[in-house]
Amino acid sequence: MTSTKIGSFQLKEVVQPKHKANTYKVETALVGNPASDKTAADSDESLLIAIGNRQDTEAFNLLFKRFSSRIYAMGVKLTRNDQLASDLVQEAMLTVWQKAPLYDLDRGSAQSWIFTLTRNRCFDIMRKIKRQPTTISADDIWAPEELDVQLVHEEQGSMEAEVEKIERHYDQLPLPQRAVVEQIYIHDRTHEEAANVLNIPLGTLKSRLRLGMGKLKQLLRTEVDSNAGTTKVKQTLGRNGNAVNLKHGRNS
Amino acid sequence: MAANINFHPSEALLRGYADGTLSAGLNVVISAHLEQCKDCRDRVAELENIAACEWVESSKEMLCISDYDGSSEQGETNIIRENPTAKLSHLVTDITSHPQHREMNPGDESVTEIHMLDHSVRLPKVLARAASDGLVWKKMTSGINQASVMLDDQTQCEFLYIKPGAKVPVHKHQGTEVTLVLDGSFTDEMGKYQKSDFVMRNKTHTHHPASEEGCLCFSVLDSPLTFTSGLARLLNPFLRYRFSRATSMS
Ligand SMILES: [Zn+2]
Repeated sequence: MTSTKIGSFQLKEVVQPKHKANTYKVETALVGNPASDKTAADSDESLLIAIGNRQDTEAFNLLFKRFSSRIYAMGVKLTRNDQLASDLVQEAMLTVWQKAPLYDLDRGSAQSWIFTLTRNRCFDIMRKIKRQPTTISADDIWAPEELDVQLVHEEQGSMEAEVEKIERHYDQLPLPQRAVVEQIYIHDRTHEEAANVLNIPLGTLKSRLRLGMGKLKQLLRTEVDSNAGTTKVKQTLGRNGNAVNLKHGRNS
Repeated sequence: MAANINFHPSEALLRGYADGTLSAGLNVVISAHLEQCKDCRDRVAELENIAACEWVESSKEMLCISDYDGSSEQGETNIIRENPTAKLSHLVTDITSHPQHREMNPGDESVTEIHMLDHSVRLPKVLARAASDGLVWKKMTSGINQASVMLDDQTQCEFLYIKPGAKVPVHKHQGTEVTLVLDGSFTDEMGKYQKSDFVMRNKTHTHHPASEEGCLCFSVLDSPLTFTSGLARLLNPFLRYRFSRATSMS
């Protein structure tokens, strides 16, 4: 075996995973572009999306097998108690099931999502055991960003009346956001239906809707402010605007 | 909203917050800062990703050890004879019979305000929750009022109002004191602190705060113990597990 051979072997081995890692990153970044959405069918993210979009119990079973021992390990580490660790597995996996429809691919990997959710359940379990005051819970502490108030369905009606006006600004929206806004406000689909049509997770759909509406609001702001006839839109978008203000704390 | 915040939680504190190893009191004061500080929010998101990766990696290790022990039949090191969660798989059917949450919890929008002489201060969401049982203000010294909030048994948490021109008596700390400025400002030997600034002092600091314009803040006094618990994460969880088993048996 000559040294050059070893060298080339090593090079091959180094280059290969690097290449893979890059591809993966690009795929992750482009997720939501329906064509590139086909990440591995059994990736944590795909399983979570299947659970969220269609209550896929098979996917949940797989995810349970994959994560229950990890959750157990975290429970033992934080509580130093076997029984509490088992309780944590139950509570955290129940939360995974319940909140899967809210999972948002744009905000991170499935493992980060499950990690934070497990950490939060663990915090609440410990407080309960120690009988500490119930004024605050994990969701109060680790939710500085969840103040985003999503657009609710009741707003659809008033939005549709103004669709024509808004349509003029469509071109300026990024394609993925435009697709989502179209599904919801033009085709009048529910969030779940739209997520299935576009083949994206419900959470991603919601965050894109929020981003898209925020952008539209920006584009429309001058128009709305200078035109008393569009109060409906102002109201609808104003609610979203409030949410943004609220998120940053102060001035409403 | 606070445009420029000059003082932020240390990396170690943010890490503890992301890991979930801090006391409730510290979690609350850090959360209140995060609500106003995008930089720290972003950093916490990164730290959560790192922690999640380490979590998955370290549990892999733990499982490998457990697999190995399961096949090797030799006592001593096989503390985890089998995957301890194997017996939990029956939970799946029960869990999947629960309804799912289709909508984000809109959250409680009634934000509490603290009324000052000539204006009101709106509290960060988590502090509004912490104060939701009501605040009882007591006079600490002539220029300082204090309202305690009970959050856990490791920390002493309180809202402090320093009247304009008042000085806090010189003091040293047993543990670590964290102060988040909610309104107004105060100064000490090391600087001037304004809205959303996060100030940490420990027993090496002699601390002599004063406020010219008046100051409302939230302060958390933490026992030294809870600070070091963040370091526990460096230990291999498997070793920790064995350690806890050993101590709970003895
Ligand atoms: Zn900060």
